[in-house]
Amino acid sequence: MRPYVRSLAAAFIAFSAILSAASAQDKCLSCHEGVGGKPVELFQRDIHHAKGVTCAGCHGGNSKTDDMEKAMDKNAGYIGVPKGDEISKACAKCHSSAEMMKNLHSSIPTGQFEKLQLSVHGKLAVNGKERIVQCTTCHNAHGIVSVHSAASPVFPLNIVKTCTKCHGDPAFMRTYNPSLPVDQLEKYRTSVHGMRNLKGDAKVAECASCHGSHDIFPVKDPRSSIYATNVPQTCSHCHSDAKYMKEYKIPTDQYEKFSRSVHGVALLKKHDTGAPACNSCHGNHAATPPGVNSISKVCGTCHALNADLFSSSPHKKAFDERKLPECETCHGKHDIIVATNKLLGVTQEAVCSRCHSESQNAKGFEAARGMRSLIDSLESQEKTAVSLVEEAEQKGMEISEAKFKLRDAHQARLESRTMVHSFNQERFKEVVAKGLGVTASVREEAVDALDEYVFRRIGLGFATLAITILVVSLYLYIRRIERRQATGAE
Amino acid sequence: MKTLWTKLYDWIDERVELGGLIEFMGKKYVPVNRHSVWYYFGGVSLFLFIIQVVTGILLLLYYKSGEQLAFESIQFIMSKVQFGWLIRSIHSWTANLFILTAMIHMFSVYFEKSYRKPREVTWVTGMLMLFLALGFGFSGYLLPWNELAFFATKVGTDIAGAVPIVGKPIMVFLRGGEDVTGATLSRFFGFHIAVLPGLFTVLLGIHLLMVQRQGMSEPMERGDQPAAERQRMPFFPNFLLRDLLLWLIVLNLLAILAVFFPWELGKKADAFASAPAGIKPEWYFLFMFQTLKYIPGKILFVDGEVLGILLFGLAGLLWMLVPFWDWKSSRGERNRFVNYVGIFVIFYIIILTVIGWIV
Repeated sequence: MRPYVRSLAAAFIAFSAILSAASAQDKCLSCHEGVGGKPVELFQRDIHHAKGVTCAGCHGGNSKTDDMEKAMDKNAGYIGVPKGDEISKACAKCHSSAEMMKNLHSSIPTGQFEKLQLSVHGKLAVNGKERIVQCTTCHNAHGIVSVHSAASPVFPLNIVKTCTKCHGDPAFMRTYNPSLPVDQLEKYRTSVHGMRNLKGDAKVAECASCHGSHDIFPVKDPRSSIYATNVPQTCSHCHSDAKYMKEYKIPTDQYEKFSRSVHGVALLKKHDTGAPACNSCHGNHAATPPGVNSISKVCGTCHALNADLFSSSPHKKAFDERKLPECETCHGKHDIIVATNKLLGVTQEAVCSRCHSESQNAKGFEAARGMRSLIDSLESQEKTAVSLVEEAEQKGMEISEAKFKLRDAHQARLESRTMVHSFNQERFKEVVAKGLGVTASVREEAVDALDEYVFRRIGLGFATLAITILVVSLYLYIRRIERRQATGAE
Repeated sequence: MKTLWTKLYDWIDERVELGGLIEFMGKKYVPVNRHSVWYYFGGVSLFLFIIQVVTGILLLLYYKSGEQLAFESIQFIMSKVQFGWLIRSIHSWTANLFILTAMIHMFSVYFEKSYRKPREVTWVTGMLMLFLALGFGFSGYLLPWNELAFFATKVGTDIAGAVPIVGKPIMVFLRGGEDVTGATLSRFFGFHIAVLPGLFTVLLGIHLLMVQRQGMSEPMERGDQPAAERQRMPFFPNFLLRDLLLWLIVLNLLAILAVFFPWELGKKADAFASAPAGIKPEWYFLFMFQTLKYIPGKILFVDGEVLGILLFGLAGLLWMLVPFWDWKSSRGERNRFVNYVGIFVIFYIIILTVIGWIV
């Protein structure tokens, strides 16, 4: 018999058993009702009960008979209260079978059990006998309702508490991952998402929106939806959906802009996990847009020197007074492009002239123009030095020392770009002068090497001439000797 | 009135008896025949060796052995020392030309059967010098401590280590430990500037002494001619001046190579970096390296690489001992077998070297 035929037959038999049990009166339930207890009470509100699944669906046995011995006969498949991994396996009997779910008229997806097994929660528990999380850990055992029901522990408004049962318990978390924080809920409640969630907005992001539900992986696992390179896509799931975000009245083009930005290209195209993702600036659990005054601090977590220079510059006060967002005013936010010299100065593309005009703010205007001219000249000197070194190298000259010095020149140019943020012409000039000094020295060495290249060829020409004269003279001398010897012999 | 030169000559002659030496040299003759051109390769090899000694000593003035210093010192020689680039390039180019001319010299001697009695010692010392020259090449290649040299030495000493029983101790001895490290560099430096030159000088002394004592070998077909009918030229000054003329041309060739194709230094060796693709030994080892690649991993119960190394060892030994098994030539009889073997070896070396170079 072919495997799929066998599976179909097995599914059919199991389904018939469940339905036939359901179609007849659920004797388990009728007896246990008499005994009373929470499970019986909860099960009557359970979605499984409504779908016709009897107690025997999970506990096994025969629910059609009121003979206790027959009903709870192990030969009839009775397993009692499932323990450990038996719990999830009992759920998977139906939830991993598309056929069974179809027959129960359910449209929910299958495969949750398999996903759970692969996830971080599917690892072995400290006792080494079962997996950390079973289906019932989050969905409860009896009284299970649809995930869309407000009574479900995994409903968006409830899920944060459900996850926090374990993730907010330091004693429990310590046994698995002592370095993992346990204050996610507290942070979450300070975020825009958390505050709205608390007010009853089930659309905002909660734990499962970002981390997934059954297939949760550690943050450093590339399969995780919150792995650095996956974060923008995860956030954009909601934030790029104009229809979904309509009522929040915020833009939905952040992802599109970010993916074009210098950060986005580094993260998404070059797969540089050190590049910032959404959470690097907005935070994770306490996600919120940074305030106008704190932007330089947020950017400064990576661009530390620029942020420090800016904070101590005259621009800090001016920006604060005008309520201008710090770095963002010149560099933009989601669509930050590579900062080139063009940003500096008073040309049309430059940002300085947006505030510093020649007529109203001549001092700032001149300073911007001067700084641009200096940095342009440094860049051009560096280019000349690079091309001279390359030329000398192509001609086979040993010029590794000058080539090494080029790094210093490049470094000086980067430093000068950083020093722009001090908005102090004197300090800026100092750094540029250092760079110009290095490029001049590299240029000199490269020119010397090129001169040496010419000298070698000229020297070789003279040497060849001298040797040729010697060779010819020697040849004539040998001939003369041999002629003399021949004459002597005669 | 005596000239200054005559006075100087007389002064030296009174003390070291130059007259006897000049008389001896004047009586020395070099056979003239259609194979005479090959006689010059011995002289050219000697000239190249002298260049190696002189440029080697000059390099020693600035070269510093050691993992942290070797590469930088060569860099210094190439960029800062006046004419350092020329000396280093000439040293490297000469090393290669020396092995080439020595090989040409060896094959010419082989095909002319000049090794036959009574010149067996000259042949054996020549062969030993060729092996030492390969040792010079192998040890000198590592001294700049660059990436290619580092990995080529690793591969080369690995091959030596594959020899059964003695291989491993030889490898450890050569490397100064289990791996190629600064200790290997120190050792190779020692071999290159002290051990090998010492041995080479002794062998060269014997080789030249034998050549001077026995003169140059006549081709076999002229053995039947009466001595008076054989064409010849005086060694001094005719042959020596011709030698000198050729040396000047070789010197010019070296200068051209050094200026137009300066020897590259490459990247500094990094033991933790992965080996660059296509690591190859110097051209004179390439035919052996390529052969080892073609030999299957196992032949019967013997490791293919081991078998290859042993076969090359055996072939080298038989080649060196040719005067002792080619009795026919020693008796003045023609030995075609030796010619066929020689032709096969030349073609084998050329074809495998070209394949190794291209692949």
